[in-house]
Amino acid sequence: MKFLCTDCDTAMKFKDVTRPEQGSVTALFECPDCFTEIAMFLNPSETQMLKSLDLQLGGTNAAAQPMQMVRSQLETAKSDAMPNEVSPETSASETAEGGKCPFTSVISDAFQEAPEPAEPTGPVWTPEALERLDRIPSFVRPMAKMGIESFAKENGHDEITGTVMDAARGNFPAQF
Amino acid sequence: MKSYKELPSDAGSNIIGQVTAQANRVQKRLTSVKHTVAIMSGKGGVGKSSLTANLATALTLKGNAVGVVDADINGPTLAKMMGVRNATLTYTPAGVKPAITTLGTKLISMDLLLAEDDAPVLWNAHTQKDAFTWRSTMEVSALREFIADTEWGTLDYLLLDLPPGTDRLPNVVELIPNLGGVIVVTIPSEVSQLIVKKSVTMTRDILNVPIIGIVENMASYVCQHCGEEEHLFVTEEPLDDVFQKISLGAVPFDPRLARASDNGIAYLDEHPDAPASKALIQIAEKVQAFFEGEDLHALPVGAVS
Repeated sequence: MKFLCTDCDTAMKFKDVTRPEQGSVTALFECPDCFTEIAMFLNPSETQMLKSLDLQLGGTNAAAQPMQMVRSQLETAKSDAMPNEVSPETSASETAEGGKCPFTSVISDAFQEAPEPAEPTGPVWTPEALERLDRIPSFVRPMAKMGIESFAKENGHDEITGTVMDAARGNFPAQF
Repeated sequence: MKSYKELPSDAGSNIIGQVTAQANRVQKRLTSVKHTVAIMSGKGGVGKSSLTANLATALTLKGNAVGVVDADINGPTLAKMMGVRNATLTYTPAGVKPAITTLGTKLISMDLLLAEDDAPVLWNAHTQKDAFTWRSTMEVSALREFIADTEWGTLDYLLLDLPPGTDRLPNVVELIPNLGGVIVVTIPSEVSQLIVKKSVTMTRDILNVPIIGIVENMASYVCQHCGEEEHLFVTEEPLDDVFQKISLGAVPFDPRLARASDNGIAYLDEHPDAPASKALIQIAEKVQAFFEGEDLHALPVGAVS
């Protein structure tokens, strides 16, 4: 993709990119002559396509790390799937903590979802709904929980009940 | 107003540069690999992964350094078949250290990364809705990283066990433009041979990759009691004439081979004199002969020793 400032007839330059919010990335471009800025929004599918190609908007100077895409993007990976090799130089404190989990110390966090802004209140889970949530396989539970809460918010539910979960079910690959 | 071609770059992302760097990582890793072989089939259930595991063992027993990529990202089985399912992949800045079997064969597989037995491959995404638009791309990127970022060391053979169908081979050829050759696995059923023709056409005529040969798996059944060889498939049809000419051999069905796969035991090591072992060793010899430049398909069966 290339961008042209039509007033100056000058190629625009990449300026900044935000971390995904609600799955969407925003990239800013600037005209080097008149400093006009434009924003390009990538929808969740476009953002995901970029992630799947392991490409960085705005380029990168950092050398790629081994299996950085798999390590950062595999949702159903075990927590100790790829521990760092413990070398004699490894600090004592690091080994005492069992080493750093590579899935939480991923090299580039450019594609990690930005934290949701804090909200004073959110949908409340009923005991029945929580029990059903516990029956969802552990590796998809966090994603399902987030999705159900998002569905409840979007549809104006203050409380997540079994009925709300049934209504949300169609939106997810996991059954619950 | 300037046109697309008149603009000097893509505003600084250098996407082409990033893609080129990814391709270079694959090529750099493969400089220490002599031969790359893709094992494919037209359809599932023909024993392709079992053949890959046993061919890797046969080549290893012949003194070769062998690595295996389980390229079936969504249905990985080789870690179990090769007895390394409990292995831990170790991360180093130079690459990820693969699982290594008791015989010394190296393996990288998605199965070694998944949390639980019933955990499918699920990629991080804001929503899984419309995942069909990007999931295949994610799988190809994972395959690229498996090839490029595993610390293979020096290998004589790197075998890639592809998922069923013809769709993954073009991806592999894009990742490994100088792919050494393809082995196509079939069984003596008309259905399988109908589909295997598509694999041969894709490999030879569209991608211009050499076909090392076709392996007819489960070709017969050797009675455990009397040693008599029987046909396994009632509706057995002989291999198509064209396929006969490029046949690497036929592997008889042996329940012990299936059991060995389930238990992660090297069948060839356990039963070296079994007919299936002899067939697998002969196939390995033909693969070696192919890469030594022999006109494999001009040789009579059994000529390669």
